[in-house]
Amino acid sequence: MAATCVEFATGGFSFENCRRNAILEEKGLKPPKVYKTGTTIVGIVFSDGIILGADTRATEDTIVADKNCSKIHYLAPNIYCCGAGTAADTEKTTQIISSQLELHRLNTDRTVRVCTANRLLKQMLFRYQGHIGAALVLGGVDSTGPHLYSIWPHGSTDVLPYVTMGSGSLAAMSVFESRYTPGISREDGMKLVRDAIAAGIFNDLGSGSNIDLCVITKDKVDYLRPYDEANKKGVRQGKYAYKKGTSCVLTETVRKVEFVVESTQVKVEAMDTV
Amino acid sequence: MSIMAYNGAAIVAMKGKECVAIASDRRFGIQAQTVGMDFQKIFEMGPHLYIGLPGLATDVQTVAQRLKFRLNLYELKENRQIRPKTLMSVVANLLYERRFGPYFVEPVIAGLDNKTAEPYIAALDLIGCPMATDDFVVSGTCTEQLYGMCESLWQPDMDADALFECISQSLMNAVDRDAVSGWGAVVTLIEKDKVTTRTLKARMD
Amino acid sequence: MSERYSFSLTTFSPSGKLVQIEYALAAVGAGSPSVGIKACNGVVLATEKKHKSVLFDENSIHKVDMVTKNIGMTYSGIGPDYRVLLRSARKLAQQYYLMYEEQIPTAQLVQRVANVMQEYTQQGGVRPFGVSLLMAGWDEDGGHPFLYQCDPSGAYFAWKATALGKNFVNGKTFLEKRYSDDLELEDAVHTAILTLKESFEGQMTEHNIEIGICNQDGFRRLSPAEVKDYLASIV
Repeated sequence: MAATCVEFATGGFSFENCRRNAILEEKGLKPPKVYKTGTTIVGIVFSDGIILGADTRATEDTIVADKNCSKIHYLAPNIYCCGAGTAADTEKTTQIISSQLELHRLNTDRTVRVCTANRLLKQMLFRYQGHIGAALVLGGVDSTGPHLYSIWPHGSTDVLPYVTMGSGSLAAMSVFESRYTPGISREDGMKLVRDAIAAGIFNDLGSGSNIDLCVITKDKVDYLRPYDEANKKGVRQGKYAYKKGTSCVLTETVRKVEFVVESTQVKVEAMDTV
Repeated sequence: MSIMAYNGAAIVAMKGKECVAIASDRRFGIQAQTVGMDFQKIFEMGPHLYIGLPGLATDVQTVAQRLKFRLNLYELKENRQIRPKTLMSVVANLLYERRFGPYFVEPVIAGLDNKTAEPYIAALDLIGCPMATDDFVVSGTCTEQLYGMCESLWQPDMDADALFECISQSLMNAVDRDAVSGWGAVVTLIEKDKVTTRTLKARMD
Repeated sequence: MSERYSFSLTTFSPSGKLVQIEYALAAVGAGSPSVGIKACNGVVLATEKKHKSVLFDENSIHKVDMVTKNIGMTYSGIGPDYRVLLRSARKLAQQYYLMYEEQIPTAQLVQRVANVMQEYTQQGGVRPFGVSLLMAGWDEDGGHPFLYQCDPSGAYFAWKATALGKNFVNGKTFLEKRYSDDLELEDAVHTAILTLKESFEGQMTEHNIEIGICNQDGFRRLSPAEVKDYLASIV
């Protein structure tokens, strides 16, 4: 084994802690919970594009970990993706695929197609056999028109005119099933997506806070965050501020720090080899 | 018992007006047995940048060292100080690399941006999902208590003195309802021109 | 296993020279000219893109390319070698972005690409790249323009203005006369075209030169129509 602190970025996952962690678990120490985006995420195809919607609550077991997290991820200038499931997985998976799409875009000199993004995502998720817990709603507009996909953690995908995912998907789907019509207008579509997310926020405990929307059309993306604050907190009238000197200080060290806005002009030491 | 509660820890970071603060308890225990009362859980990552690492003590130290290693390389390569947001990304990557065999730490980052002096706080889960907020972040074995304290005590635009009292009282009162953290507390207050570190008198039970 | 015992092509000569690298530089010197000028509010890259036959579809390949949204590059030398470096530069930039969620600073990218080029002077079974690169960048924080040159040896230089390829000596002399520190980007584009014109054989059109500019809005390759406008204002 190499010395523990010498490391080189090699890419890919490291499994060096797995054995130790398994032993710890054997001894009865429970592994902790990770952030989940309990989540209601949805998407619809409307008359000239795609509308994606998401709530903004992240949970850690039953605790609300983040009241305003962003679940609509950027993939490409014309493609966005909502993520549900293990928050770290949705975050990193979309970042990695976004990076690959950017390379693809540069190397082919074309706007990337939504089916390409779908393929890259499903192949990555399938490779990890569901261990990467990312459930995604992928939407975008390309040269062949608007496209909407749902992608499951094991790597299966569906092409649909309207989709919902996450723990609030049933509540949101009930809204879609009753009100979605093909060729729905932008205005009605945004209202419908808002109501679907709101259904998740109010009926599913894993979803909450605000409603984010992302409207993608042929030559424009409107990322509306927040589109609607479904739950406004009342304004607090009083204050609980402690008086200065409340806390009993034992020791104090003050370190003066100069705030230097350094220029990032990196010195180049050219080497003369020839 | 959760692995995260094996040694016990409570860390909180808060934003104020042109300042940030990060505070932690000082206990190092092995389950119910307290072993030390001066355990370092907050690490300096730059003149205006600190990271708190609650969790399994062995991983706290390993992660702190690995991070310092990556950070030193960054600073040498780029000839500049790292920005808080960039550090967050480095930590996220370090943790996510071990997605399937994680380090049992849930880091908290607090700092001022080295260009704009904008306060920045963020917390990550043990596999590196970042969460940057505008008010406060908490982590450790008594997050529920800390959330309760912070939700009621925190208010926007506190000056350095108010922020110090707010974060100190949030932490001290939260750890009183947690058996495995407490035994002293340390608060680091980061302002543009100075960094103040204070230790607090706390219950030792 | 066999590659362990294959020695590097770039072997020292008794006098301490690495002649393969000098030959690579000769390939650069024989390549079609390219020019880079750093102005106070941006950088311009320009290169000659002459075709051997009128039957070529001149819009199918490019010589000035985007690496990230704020860095672009061009070259003099062997085209296929350049494409390899372009791809690795883009990949290096993406790797940096994934690690730090921050656009790679130009100097960092140059260093990393130069490292790739250096590896090809020391590894077994490979030959050095037959290109010199010109990289133009505008860094997100700091807001400075940058112009770098990368040589086959892995050496890199920061320039105010420079010329590569055929007749580069004349090009540099021309630039030395024309350059001033308060040059604006628009004027820099003109100067770059004039520098190319110094050694240009035949009629210069929007199809046989290519120009890229980099300013605070990022890097972009000028369309043939835009190049045509610049050319029209010169004659």
